[in-house]
Amino acid sequence: MRLRFDRGTILVIDPPSGGNLATAPGVLWDQRVRAYRAPASKYLALKRWLLASGVRFQDLSLRPRSPEEAWMDVDLRAYQEAALSAWELAQRRGVVALPTGSGKTRLALAAMQRTRLSALCLVPTRVLLDQWSREIGAVYRGPIGCYGDGVRRVATVTVATFEGAYRHMQEIGSRFDLLIVDEVHHFGGGLRDEALEMAIAGARLGLTATPPRDVAATACLATLVGPTVFELVIGDLAGGFLASFDAITLYLDLSREERSAYTNLSALFNGVYAESRRTAPDATWADFSQHCARTPAGRRALAAWRQMRRLLSFTHAKRRALRSLLERHRDSKVLVFTADNDTAYTIAREHLVMPLTCDIGRQERDDVLERFRCGDLHTLVSARVLNEGLDVPDADVAVIVGGALGEREHVQRVGRLLRPGEGKRAVVYELVTRNTVEVGQARRRRRGLVTRSSDQL
Amino acid sequence: MLPDRLISYSVAGTFVVPHFLGEHDHPWLRSLLEEHERFIGRPQRDLDTRLRQPLPCESPPGKLKLAVQVLARLRPGHRSAAVVPPRRARSLVFVAAARASDASPAVLSKVAASLGVTVADLRDSLFADLPSERLVSAPGQPVSAAELALRSNLALVQGLLFYATVVRIEMEGNTRVLVRHAKWRGLICAVVARAVPADASLEISGPFALFRNTRLYGRALGELIPLLAWCPRFRAQAECFVDGRRLILQLATGDPIFPACAPRQYDSRIEERFAREFRRLAPEWDVVREPEPIAADRTLIFPDFALQHRSVPGRRWLLEIVGFWTPDYVARKLALYRKARISNLILCIDEARNCAAADLPLGALVVRFRRRVDPAAVLGAIRSAEQAVVD
Repeated sequence: MRLRFDRGTILVIDPPSGGNLATAPGVLWDQRVRAYRAPASKYLALKRWLLASGVRFQDLSLRPRSPEEAWMDVDLRAYQEAALSAWELAQRRGVVALPTGSGKTRLALAAMQRTRLSALCLVPTRVLLDQWSREIGAVYRGPIGCYGDGVRRVATVTVATFEGAYRHMQEIGSRFDLLIVDEVHHFGGGLRDEALEMAIAGARLGLTATPPRDVAATACLATLVGPTVFELVIGDLAGGFLASFDAITLYLDLSREERSAYTNLSALFNGVYAESRRTAPDATWADFSQHCARTPAGRRALAAWRQMRRLLSFTHAKRRALRSLLERHRDSKVLVFTADNDTAYTIAREHLVMPLTCDIGRQERDDVLERFRCGDLHTLVSARVLNEGLDVPDADVAVIVGGALGEREHVQRVGRLLRPGEGKRAVVYELVTRNTVEVGQARRRRRGLVTRSSDQL
Repeated sequence: MLPDRLISYSVAGTFVVPHFLGEHDHPWLRSLLEEHERFIGRPQRDLDTRLRQPLPCESPPGKLKLAVQVLARLRPGHRSAAVVPPRRARSLVFVAAARASDASPAVLSKVAASLGVTVADLRDSLFADLPSERLVSAPGQPVSAAELALRSNLALVQGLLFYATVVRIEMEGNTRVLVRHAKWRGLICAVVARAVPADASLEISGPFALFRNTRLYGRALGELIPLLAWCPRFRAQAECFVDGRRLILQLATGDPIFPACAPRQYDSRIEERFAREFRRLAPEWDVVREPEPIAADRTLIFPDFALQHRSVPGRRWLLEIVGFWTPDYVARKLALYRKARISNLILCIDEARNCAAADLPLGALVVRFRRRVDPAAVLGAIRSAEQAVVD
């Protein structure tokens, strides 16, 4: 009998007659090819089961370890050492939650260096693909593979985007023993989870600043990567390992015309939404919008909701406040966060500040970040691109003009400012419009800055 | 892939019914094409603004958005009207603004003067490469209303199939192209019992679909649909998970879907030349390209040719031309034919692969060739084999 990696699964070839493979972990009979098959993620469990059952089998070929001499020492801070120990104690399976700027990538480098296992690092975006490759290259002299942004190159240490991994894990899923997942909270919700299920890696390390709160997603993530084994929030490290910061909320008013338009739109939307909540109290936003799309009144309500968001995204008062803040912090490095790309471009045109959006190509984006680092640019404006993972070391002022994604987005945005510096004290301004939905949104999103989200510890 | 909001369908029981564009949609599609033509060379945002207003004839909003999206995808590349390359404009303007203590208009004036362009040109160039600022261009090839409808329908079906886990197809003709494409995309093609008379009845899905409903294979499954259009007859059923429900999408011969490019008749010049020369040498034989596939062990085998004597129906031979091969490959192929109880098979093996006679499995009727399959050698092999049976 032998095990074969087959496009993200383990195929059991020529099983012994009488062996009860159907009871092995994850194994199902595949009538299409008349063979037993298991998801690749069950490889280790299946192997243990076969060994315990005394079944002789030919294993998958061994994955090469990275040579010891290729690695330089990776020093860790005390809390990073504690996090790594917690992961080791959890049989090298688990999620480490640390605030942005606290050195999650460093932790991953230490995990790779100390285990020397063949490692695949998954990152959410193409920009982070380059950033991770650079960081690995600083401590590892061997070749670094890359899967994403049009490149397909495998090495003992490889970095891949989530999308690259989702599309190609059926080819490379048998090449690695250690899976490191940056911003792991993107998994567990069903979207692209297969990327983790189609890999045989037994050792798995998830990294995030914002572990999921949702019970189902947490449980799913525990299966895919492992439970949360270590967690610190911004409040635990601010002032020491992270820069201190002041959070200032500016409450602003709508103009008379804006208020009138907002009142009409919210009346249109709230009528339909309240009715929907009454008839289906447990419905999600997705259910609600699907339901709305089927009726003219529903479509009008959704259109009103979109207009409301557009209206609030950059009101006259926000425009004035932003002008004043940019003037006040003219000599600082400022990040401006908006709810959408249109607002980012409007601000870019009005204040001649560089926008970083998904429409700006990779090379230009790298160039812009380098100019920001070296001081040629003082201000960047972005809707989503700067939200997550991207290393913007020297920023010390953030102006949050708008946002749509809540607590997780806010924690990530604030995290952009918290990389420590000599005597650094960052400032986060939130522009919130009074007597609108923004007040509740702002209150909710601030919760994540000070509270632990995982109850598994 | 289409955004979900553009996939228009209704649900009837357990079936999902795509809202196909038909002949009744051609008038507004023609209007759309005329409007598009009128906006060629102008920024995309102008066209977008125009299309928010009604067309001269009534157009269903959902279908219109779908057709607009499909039409946009037919454009080759992007063009912008920038006087200064946008990236250069951004680099100069934003760095200058960061250094200067002047207000924005003064910064723009200075940079424009240094480039020898007007402030307006510079301002327009700053974001001229954004999707909304790009210039509308003509489709790569002229598109008619009928073609746009068919292309929109294909996009609609592929959008639904993006949520499919398995497709079952009963088909006649063109099976080989479909199976080959499916295997190339990493799908499993299993032969299932035929519900109706057909060349083949296939269940196509991916390896991981055994464990759960996954969208991993939706794109690959969708790519099969335009190939089906070349089958004289087919019936397809896809299991799609839409809005959390398992629904069946049914397609059949005659559905208004844009076809893929016509499949090539021959896979190689060697095959084409053999067919031509064999017909010339042995006019009493019919050379049938891609005879019906043979089911063996839940998979299909596709002989390249059937050689059928015109006056003696019993004289029928299947022929496969094997280019790249290993002894293992040939052994597996012969084993499949044996499972299907096929003995009248001729394998033409490329000698350039430098294989010793001992490498070939015993019992195979083999004709070796270099660069060209000799029809006389094939005919000779047939006669020898038939003579051996008589003896």
